[in-house]
Amino acid sequence: MKRGLIACALLVLSASSYAAMPPSAALCGSCHGSQGQGVDPLGPRLAGLSSDYIAKQIKLFQTGKRQNATMQPMSMTLQGDAVYAVADYFSSFDVPIVTPHLRGEKAVYEDPTEQLVYQGDWQRVIPACVTCHGPSGLGVGEFPRLAGQQASYIKNQLMAWQKDTRSGDQDGVMGAIADKLTSAEIDALSKYFAELK
Amino acid sequence: MKVSHLSWLIISLSPSLLVQAEELPDKQTELVAKVKQVGQAYLVPRDLSSIPQGEFGDKVRLGYQLFVNSQQMRDSYVGNNLNCSNCHMDAGRHANAAPLWAAYFAYPAYRKKNDKVNSYEERLQGCFTYSMNGTPPASGSKELVALSAYSYWLGMSGLMDQAGITTAVAELSDSDLIKGGKREDMLLPEAVKTAMTQPERAALPGKGFPKIAAPKLAYSPKRGSEVYQAHCQSCHGADGQGYESAGVYSLPPLWGPQSFNWGAGMHRVNTAAYFIYENMPFSKSVQLSNQQAWDVAAYINAQERPQDPRFTGDIKQLKDKYHKHQGYYGVSVDGKPELGSKAYGNNPKRSD
Repeated sequence: MKRGLIACALLVLSASSYAAMPPSAALCGSCHGSQGQGVDPLGPRLAGLSSDYIAKQIKLFQTGKRQNATMQPMSMTLQGDAVYAVADYFSSFDVPIVTPHLRGEKAVYEDPTEQLVYQGDWQRVIPACVTCHGPSGLGVGEFPRLAGQQASYIKNQLMAWQKDTRSGDQDGVMGAIADKLTSAEIDALSKYFAELK
Repeated sequence: MKVSHLSWLIISLSPSLLVQAEELPDKQTELVAKVKQVGQAYLVPRDLSSIPQGEFGDKVRLGYQLFVNSQQMRDSYVGNNLNCSNCHMDAGRHANAAPLWAAYFAYPAYRKKNDKVNSYEERLQGCFTYSMNGTPPASGSKELVALSAYSYWLGMSGLMDQAGITTAVAELSDSDLIKGGKREDMLLPEAVKTAMTQPERAALPGKGFPKIAAPKLAYSPKRGSEVYQAHCQSCHGADGQGYESAGVYSLPPLWGPQSFNWGAGMHRVNTAAYFIYENMPFSKSVQLSNQQAWDVAAYINAQERPQDPRFTGDIKQLKDKYHKHQGYYGVSVDGKPELGSKAYGNNPKRSD
């Protein structure tokens, strides 16, 4: 069964112009898609994330700062250069182009979710998501792309920050923000970003 | 002969250029910072959704838009990658992050230094010249009117709410807007007038950045580099140049050609330390120790950046005249050339 999946993944790849899949990435592909496109709800999309970000997450799983029953053993199969080979491979795939919405295009957002995304809620010291995650959540530096990510995954992560089963953020910045979000806001934000494609 | 004649003509046609060539006014005179009070209540401006429709409301909204996306003025008035909202948190609404609502009611302000009364628009022009390393919009321009209107509306709506007045903020003429709110003839609702004196309105709690105590050890860029790596680098980059996505540097550069210049208030170590201690890491506030804030402020400000626009060729002269404060302009750190000697250009084009 696993072999079949790998063979299938290789077949898909051979038709594309992307880099060849490193052998160590084959296992990842079974839940994340052979081109990192994501398999909802098994595994989030990896395409569109930076190589640095993916590599850092693998290490966070390995050290238990991100707790996930599947990913902890899976991440341990990657050691040394394999971490970067896998990260480079999955980050090389393109994702749909999203025309970014820039701050300042609007002063007033009627939708409270959009207001959180583009202006935040500073009465609760929640900054705009796009400050760190980039315009329309396209991702920047160490901050992952949110646009087009699976809603179920974003929701699980925000809850993981709240439950302290995910950490590794600089000075707990993301954890502190997630702690302030209501469950309704988490649902709405997850849906909002997932639909930005 | 022909060339010099032509250049004379150009200068005579641009009086603002002539003034700049002579001497730039010191519009970024240091504010008197105050210590933050525990349990202090701050002015809360109204939600942007209550900005009225119509011409006046459009000016207020434009002010907001220029403030959060200052890059729409790139190559006209802005000469670096910064947006006003990089330092003024929550688009100039957040207390202790130099809120616009507090600044507006502190101008016009008499400055002993140049024996001149500076209007609010002149203060804004200073931001363009120094913090944005650009060329300021002209007096009365739509940009300065809009930024003044936004500041006024934030401040006045907060003062009115505090005084229990729920009506719309009164519209002001453009020429009044750009003066600032600290005027005898300022239009104020009676309840606002009686709630506070003019000096009280000019010193609203949360204005500027809160003062912190002097460090126990003299601040050190060397120790600061360790603080930087541990707490700042993930957002601002190992090279301090920030990160860009879709053309926007919401994680701003802190030094180098795309950051604020040697004349900006933030280049002073104390101002940066106050800002950092209170506002960094982003949205966490007060995570660093007093010493760490001072040290990292020193580290950031002991790096080369765009030239002080008042520079006329002599670093020492400029240092003696304008840099008698806690800063590194004209100072050699770690045996390197004195800072300012390799400064970057003023108001470069994006393509430069």
